[in-house]
Amino acid sequence: MIELTTPLSEEAISQLTVGDVVTLTGYIYTGRDAVLPKVIKLAEEGRLNEYGIDLQGAVIFHTAVSPAGVGPTSSNKVEIESSFEPLSKHGVKMHLGKGAISKETVKKLAENNAVFAVIPPVTALLESQTIECEVVAFPELGMEAMNRLKVVKYQAIIGAAKGRSIYD
Amino acid sequence: MISIQEKVADCLVRAGSTFREDQKDAYRKAIALENSEKSCWVMRQILDNALVAEERRSPLCDDTGIPHLFLEVGKNRSVTGELLEQIKEGVALGLRQLPGRPMAIKGDDYARIDQSGGLNEDSGALAPSPILIKPVDEDVLRLTVLMLGGGPAIRGITQRVFHKHSVNVVIDEIVDRAKEGVSKLGCSPCVLAVGIGRSQFEATSLMMEAMVYGDFSKQTDFEMRITEKVNEANIGPLGLGGKHSVLATFAKIGPQRASGVRIVALRPCCCFEPRRASVEL
Repeated sequence: MIELTTPLSEEAISQLTVGDVVTLTGYIYTGRDAVLPKVIKLAEEGRLNEYGIDLQGAVIFHTAVSPAGVGPTSSNKVEIESSFEPLSKHGVKMHLGKGAISKETVKKLAENNAVFAVIPPVTALLESQTIECEVVAFPELGMEAMNRLKVVKYQAIIGAAKGRSIYD
Repeated sequence: MISIQEKVADCLVRAGSTFREDQKDAYRKAIALENSEKSCWVMRQILDNALVAEERRSPLCDDTGIPHLFLEVGKNRSVTGELLEQIKEGVALGLRQLPGRPMAIKGDDYARIDQSGGLNEDSGALAPSPILIKPVDEDVLRLTVLMLGGGPAIRGITQRVFHKHSVNVVIDEIVDRAKEGVSKLGCSPCVLAVGIGRSQFEATSLMMEAMVYGDFSKQTDFEMRITEKVNEANIGPLGLGGKHSVLATFAKIGPQRASGVRIVALRPCCCFEPRRASVEL
């Protein structure tokens, strides 16, 4: 098992291949359909620092955050999958979710030395491995707001890297 | 004395946070038989998750599901309006204790369809489905709570099958529909819940009953044939490939119409389902 700590370095990402099981420790962000297009807009306008968001080496976990906990939603929803390329260009190194993504997205990830990782929907386990949680942007979206989590050893499997997909 | 409301609340929390022993055993057996390391890793994560959820009495999945209620009533037992109200109150209490994901949609008919009215922040505001009542020979008043998630609801299908006087035709159609549903669900390995009846309502009711009574360790020939055929598709846990796309099939075959059609309800239950627990009231 490969142990990764955020922020993720270019070198750490370049060594990952499809099928690697990794653990993730450190701060990660959450975002899904409603918030990701807004985050992209902030990044394009150069306003991320207004919210204290740093996407360099970041992980975006495709989840809502509710009293019930966290768990991956399908990453192939249009608003989510279309965020992979622009967010990778702004420094995101790992998109964390579930479900098969398109060949085009797999290619775009490789071009930006970023990866897609699949995380099982193990809410109770993830809850036990999450030690901090705070809303950082768009609180009006409720459980779909962008949150920053501090996590310890979340397990995930690399689903797309270097132009290859685990679903091929 | 424990109130009806407290019994129902505890039952709902168990449904949303606990794997039954036959369910745990099914995972242990699948892990032992699976050749794919990726698939084994996924199933171990799911089993570890269940153990943590049970210990903490916390949700198995962040989609905590919509409460569906199944009430078995013995010949000498009665169901009153007061009892139904107490059950409803118990559901709200249980949703707050679990806690359930707050997902009650606010507003009038249009606002509830397009979700423009927003969400109620109270987990307990989520209305349960209508209660399904079944007369039984046992001297019992037993409530089963099922927590049904959104993914399987998206991929489930209730539709006719023209049987052509062949069980194989019906099985093949179920298998074809199941393969498509399981591959798109993502959260596999699945349990396939199947009801076969004379109308959409009856087939769906039978499917519910299959989820209430289904046991991983007791599979009929009909159920095993479906499971084995779907597993040939090599979809695997989380779609990562492997022999275990489906851990079991829970089927209930009811009375049938004197015609060439069978109505089949199929729900590809996710890797935590059927999330269910029962309590005697």
